[in-house]
Amino acid sequence: MSVWNYVVTAQKPTSVTHSCVGNFTSPQELNLIVAKCTRIEIHLLTPQGLEAILDVPLYGRIATLELFRPHGEAQDLLFIATEGYKFCVLQWDSESSELITRAMGDVADRIGRQTDNGQIGIIDPDCRFIGLHLYDGLFKVIPFDNKGQLKEAYNIRLEELQVLDIKFLYGCAKPTIAVLYQDNKDARHVKTYEVSQKEKDFVEGPWSQNNLDNGADLLIPVPSPLCGVLIIGEETIVYCSANALKAIPIRSSITKAYGRVDVDGSRYLLGDHAGLIHLLVITHEKEKVTGLKMELLGETSIASTISYLDNAVVFIGSSYGDSQLIKLNMQPDASGSYVEIIEKYVNLGPIVDFCVVDLERQGQGQVVTCSGAYKDGSLRIVRNGIGINEQASVELPGIKGIWSLKSSIDDAFDTFLVVSFISETRILAMNIEDELEDTEIEGFLSQVQTLFCHDAVYNQLVQITSNSVRLVSSTTRQLRNKWDAPAGFTVNVATANASQVLLATGGGHLVYIEIGDGTLTEVKHAQLEYEVSCLDINPTGDNPNYSQLAAVGMWTDISVRIFVLPDLTLFTKEQLGGEIIPRSVLLCALEGISYLLCALGDGHLLNFQLDTSTGELRDRKKVSLGTQPITLRTFSSKSATHVFAASDRPSVIYSNNKKLIYSNVNLKEVSHMCPFNSGAFPDSLAIAREGELTIGTIDEIQKLHIRTIPIGEHARRICHQEQTRTFAICSLRNQPSAEESEMHFVRLLDDRDFEFLATYPLDAFEYGCSILSCSFTDDKNVYYCVGTSYVLPEENEPTKGRILVFVVEEGKLQLVAEKETKGSVYSLNAFNGKLLAAINQKIQLYKWTLRDDGTRELQSECGHHGHILALYVQTRGDFIVVGDLMKSISLLIYKHEEGAIEEIARDYNASWMTAVGILDDDTYLGADNCYNLFTVKRHSEAATDEERCRMEVVGEYHIGEFVNRFRHGSLVTRLPDSETSQIPTMIFGTVNGVIGVMASLPQEQYAFLEKLQTSMRKVIKGVGGLSHEQWRSFKNEKRSADARSFLDGDLIESFMDLSRRKMEEISKGMDVQVEELYKRVEELTRLH
Amino acid sequence: MWQAIQARETGRTPCNSFANQLKSRRISSLQLCNRKDFVSPHRGAVNSLQVDLTEGRYLLSGASDGSAAVFDTQRATDSEASGLIEKHKCVFSVDKGHEHGHRFAVSSAVWYPIDTGLFVTGSFDHLIKVWDTNTAQAVVDFKMPGKVYRTAMSSLAMSHTLIAAGTEDVQVRLCDIASGAFSHTLSGHRDGVMSVEWSTSSEWVLYTGGCDGAIRFWDIRRAGCFRVLDQSVTQLGVRPPILKHSAVSTKVSAEKSSSGAKNRLKTLHTRPSVEKARQKRLHPGMLSTLDRATAHYGVVTGLKATNDGMYLLSAGKNKAVGYSIGCNTLLNFETGRLQTSKAIQMATSDDPALVFVPCMKTVKAFGMWSGRTTLMFRGHYESVNTCCFNSTDQELYTSGADRQILVWSPGGSVEGEMDQDEEAAEDKDNWSD
Repeated sequence: MSVWNYVVTAQKPTSVTHSCVGNFTSPQELNLIVAKCTRIEIHLLTPQGLEAILDVPLYGRIATLELFRPHGEAQDLLFIATEGYKFCVLQWDSESSELITRAMGDVADRIGRQTDNGQIGIIDPDCRFIGLHLYDGLFKVIPFDNKGQLKEAYNIRLEELQVLDIKFLYGCAKPTIAVLYQDNKDARHVKTYEVSQKEKDFVEGPWSQNNLDNGADLLIPVPSPLCGVLIIGEETIVYCSANALKAIPIRSSITKAYGRVDVDGSRYLLGDHAGLIHLLVITHEKEKVTGLKMELLGETSIASTISYLDNAVVFIGSSYGDSQLIKLNMQPDASGSYVEIIEKYVNLGPIVDFCVVDLERQGQGQVVTCSGAYKDGSLRIVRNGIGINEQASVELPGIKGIWSLKSSIDDAFDTFLVVSFISETRILAMNIEDELEDTEIEGFLSQVQTLFCHDAVYNQLVQITSNSVRLVSSTTRQLRNKWDAPAGFTVNVATANASQVLLATGGGHLVYIEIGDGTLTEVKHAQLEYEVSCLDINPTGDNPNYSQLAAVGMWTDISVRIFVLPDLTLFTKEQLGGEIIPRSVLLCALEGISYLLCALGDGHLLNFQLDTSTGELRDRKKVSLGTQPITLRTFSSKSATHVFAASDRPSVIYSNNKKLIYSNVNLKEVSHMCPFNSGAFPDSLAIAREGELTIGTIDEIQKLHIRTIPIGEHARRICHQEQTRTFAICSLRNQPSAEESEMHFVRLLDDRDFEFLATYPLDAFEYGCSILSCSFTDDKNVYYCVGTSYVLPEENEPTKGRILVFVVEEGKLQLVAEKETKGSVYSLNAFNGKLLAAINQKIQLYKWTLRDDGTRELQSECGHHGHILALYVQTRGDFIVVGDLMKSISLLIYKHEEGAIEEIARDYNASWMTAVGILDDDTYLGADNCYNLFTVKRHSEAATDEERCRMEVVGEYHIGEFVNRFRHGSLVTRLPDSETSQIPTMIFGTVNGVIGVMASLPQEQYAFLEKLQTSMRKVIKGVGGLSHEQWRSFKNEKRSADARSFLDGDLIESFMDLSRRKMEEISKGMDVQVEELYKRVEELTRLH
Repeated sequence: MWQAIQARETGRTPCNSFANQLKSRRISSLQLCNRKDFVSPHRGAVNSLQVDLTEGRYLLSGASDGSAAVFDTQRATDSEASGLIEKHKCVFSVDKGHEHGHRFAVSSAVWYPIDTGLFVTGSFDHLIKVWDTNTAQAVVDFKMPGKVYRTAMSSLAMSHTLIAAGTEDVQVRLCDIASGAFSHTLSGHRDGVMSVEWSTSSEWVLYTGGCDGAIRFWDIRRAGCFRVLDQSVTQLGVRPPILKHSAVSTKVSAEKSSSGAKNRLKTLHTRPSVEKARQKRLHPGMLSTLDRATAHYGVVTGLKATNDGMYLLSAGKNKAVGYSIGCNTLLNFETGRLQTSKAIQMATSDDPALVFVPCMKTVKAFGMWSGRTTLMFRGHYESVNTCCFNSTDQELYTSGADRQILVWSPGGSVEGEMDQDEEAAEDKDNWSD
């Protein structure tokens, strides 16, 4: 790999951090707005459920998200503050369906220390102020003027230094805040302040409440007419206002999120750390609060945010498990729960560890992540492309085409499968035993190749061969009518739908036939100047049996033409350019948009948006799907239409958010496909490939396919052992009742069905910290090595740990050796047939020795001191790269002669590391605590000792994500002949559930893309006016610097979604053809 | 520790609070470091220590024998006791023997804040010299009217390169490196100025502490000083209640209760923006009574502005005080005896939860908010002049009349050594089998 890196997200963030409900897109519509760290999603509440309207990236990490409605506005505005001290106010523009920025600004201060407990952003219920608590000891106020515009912000000194929560109170004549804080003696209090607009200062507020629950850390302001505030503690809930004080004890729990149910604020949903949902009711007589009541409703994912939508439907946003849409029922179900889960939204975060494996051994990488936390822990198998789950297959070489037919046009299921060969046609049908067997349709010709087959109206079937069109009754299976090609002409290509047939004979004759009840009427004949290469009359309009348009691909002039049926008048002609003839055309409507797809003989695919009324072809785009001719066919899955492109690299083309997406199918080579929905194989596809016919079902249509294996406990580390086909994980289970709250295990799983095979419980207080599959010198076996740590409550730093060596025998974990260590084993690596462990400050090398009695043991060979904590270690050859807790990256070398480990270079910056990776012999990659990526380079050839010992930072980039792990590997199958296959890639996983890909580009390509990125920045404006350049620039506490040697793939790849006009703007600026740009960007999307 | 890492890994603890928790845990375990040793080339009391502001790596020291030296805090020059004790010899030093060397004691040595290419020394020989680090040659010198007690450069300055100098003279002078001349002369103190400190929130604001006991705030864009801290008029920051029957305020703070005690240090809180308006209104014609106010009885020996720009610490006769900048909240630290004849250099941790103050032969660490002693560092044989906190490694460097520079580092490294010793023993056993 190299220093020129390209970073792109394969899986967008999935962990939900904030959400809110309001009338954002229109005064009548109810919206749910969800923040996923660096993305905002806007949903519309419809009777059918949530409908996504917009999903946009934000150039910042969202710290607060609030909807508010200034005076005189009919709908809500969205206030967002980022962790980078930027804020913006967004408004929905219903005409363009875009977000427009009402206001934006920077609220960073030179003074003050950033808060430990996270930023707080609140809006006065009467829209007089926005309040921000960003720095200890300061409260920033952004006032609104009478017209709802923001005025200049100012700071007010806040004496309370350890602020836990601040909320604006309702029903106060002057804007009033309640502050929950902790004092020097760790006691917690609430006090109130009025914001004096004139003095720009606080005035002591109407009430205060001292010595609260020690776990109190959430305030809920209660709307008028009750007013006041609820103080949520771990053991009590207190209602507090100027003239009332009510408290109730609760079962010990840590409340993580709340959602208000009623507008009057008498009921609230509280979500706790164990995922339990409670209903809190304020009982009141008119405006007088009489008490509090709390009721357990049921269990959900551990909530980070709760939004009550409408009609007892609630959105539970989670960062530890899948987010959910739940319904609260009036009556409990059998298990006593009032909660019914309506829908789940996949969340991969937090990805604490993952491994890249090739389980199907097809050269396609899959990522298996340790996702979720606590009870919502799971393993997720993330795979690019769409899988086919094989149901049945028969050996049938030489297939030239397959079609499925029904026994009657109204039948829900397909009965026949017509398989065409070079000189025969076979018909397969399901027999009573649900097996495919040969059958016959008397009216069909079976000694010739079939060019096309289709169900036809009036319970008929149509077969087209090179000489004739045959109409057969599907009930009697007898020939009803026949059209013969004129003497001397043979049909070259043909297509049909339920009521129409279009065929082309040699010499460029185009014949259009309509199907009636037992009749075939040649309606129109046209003579074209060249031979026809392909045809399509797939209906895209309202009538599913009749098409208004026909698409025709031509030899010689390499064009595609659209004709209007039934007159065969030329509507549009589009020159394709180049010398490769179109081999398959398809008219289709995806998500209500009509497209013309045209596949070329060299594996390229052109797509156009087709205006069915004018015949205009717009937004021409060209992508490369493979290297062989493509056959296009539509199919439907989950009531949506998709297109299957059969070739040497089969793909599924589908539409998402009105954008075409190309997704690989995980099969090697497919020549033909047809949907085959039979009783025994519902919703299946028949696929002809490599000498066999396969019937299989298709995965859900999406680019990244995620399979969830819930394990009900928190997996921390994972590794795969290919030889035994197993995974091993270190996991922990929370036991709320038991004395010792956590239990830690090493578990063995089968890599095919992910069943637990064996479990090795660790000792009390012993945590699993690292896991590795490795083998040792002079030993054929493969072992799992597990590094542990004894975490005793009274110790800050663990002083004891173990390295356990297991072998898998008959699906069980056998402990073969154990070695005690003087600290926690943060990392394990296989190293020259030995084991390299990072134990607290130290790197320690162990060799695997044979004892006299034939047993094996780990014996320490040498070590290296000099780290604060050696948390992350990677090795390559004799080199050891250590990511320190707070001292960046250092490079060690193992010297064989001396048997010693020595430091040879280090980066002297004070980066707090979160992950390290090795790019090549001299370049290393690190991720730090401030969400940056950086690369360092060693100068082994430098002249002075000082230069050799110091690693130079060569690349810096703000990724805005907390990276937990880098692994070499790829999510996609690499074709040996494609350009991208030469590009080495790394995968990373983050806390927010992002799976990212980092690719090392050749310098020339990097320079080109950097130029493109610069042009894109000018054209694509960030949401809320936030700057991309600033967002991606490296920043930590001490300094910030422009990004270098890293490119933002997400920005670059958004080129493909731009309108033609914007593309042209960019292409002009760069002096490169749009087509060329498109091709180069499209190549990059192939990396993930 | 492992749990903290686990919490960070899952996103439960925000990154910055993870780092802060860990730093403060490390700082609370500071102890005399037995692995790192600065080999002091100085033959006189060490008066000044500073770690460079760009890399946080190079330590600059100045001593009474007229010498100044630079150490690499990260990379040891050699090691002893089989690699367990790292010796840091100075990278270079300039002393009396040097052609441009100071003739008398170096009282102050500070880095140029933008990079490590320059440093500045002030000396009792009435000179301030600017040195080129790479060639170890003096490039500019300023002749002052008397002994130089303290020099300072602003860590924020983007638009000026001024050295503020406190000398025997009553006037504070600002020396411009760019022009080689004095750019400002600030008059107001009635005696020599022992301490100068730039604001950490504004590049134009300078604090000075004089032998007359006054602490003055200057905005160098304007004439005259805009504020004099008064120890007798301190506001505790309690806001006036608007309701008469309001609940008992929690704000009967510890701050006032200690004001009667004898032996103290002070912290002054510095509060910019909000208060600034009020200050400016007062500014040009400050009342003469206000102008005569003192912050300490006797010499102000040290000033330190905290990193967050919120507080100013001052040390005076037998006490150290913290002022909240702007509102004049006062917090006294129970220091015990303090040196009065010499300028002292205080330090704070990053938070700034701890204040390190040299108290005779020891260095004490005070809680910033409580004013109580939390740690004591005993190790010097004679009185300590200066302490300096290195936030990169959370190390404290102290030095004093005993000519040593001591390193105080977070505990825990000891156990590593024992570890190795034991393992060596284990290995032996294996051999003897």
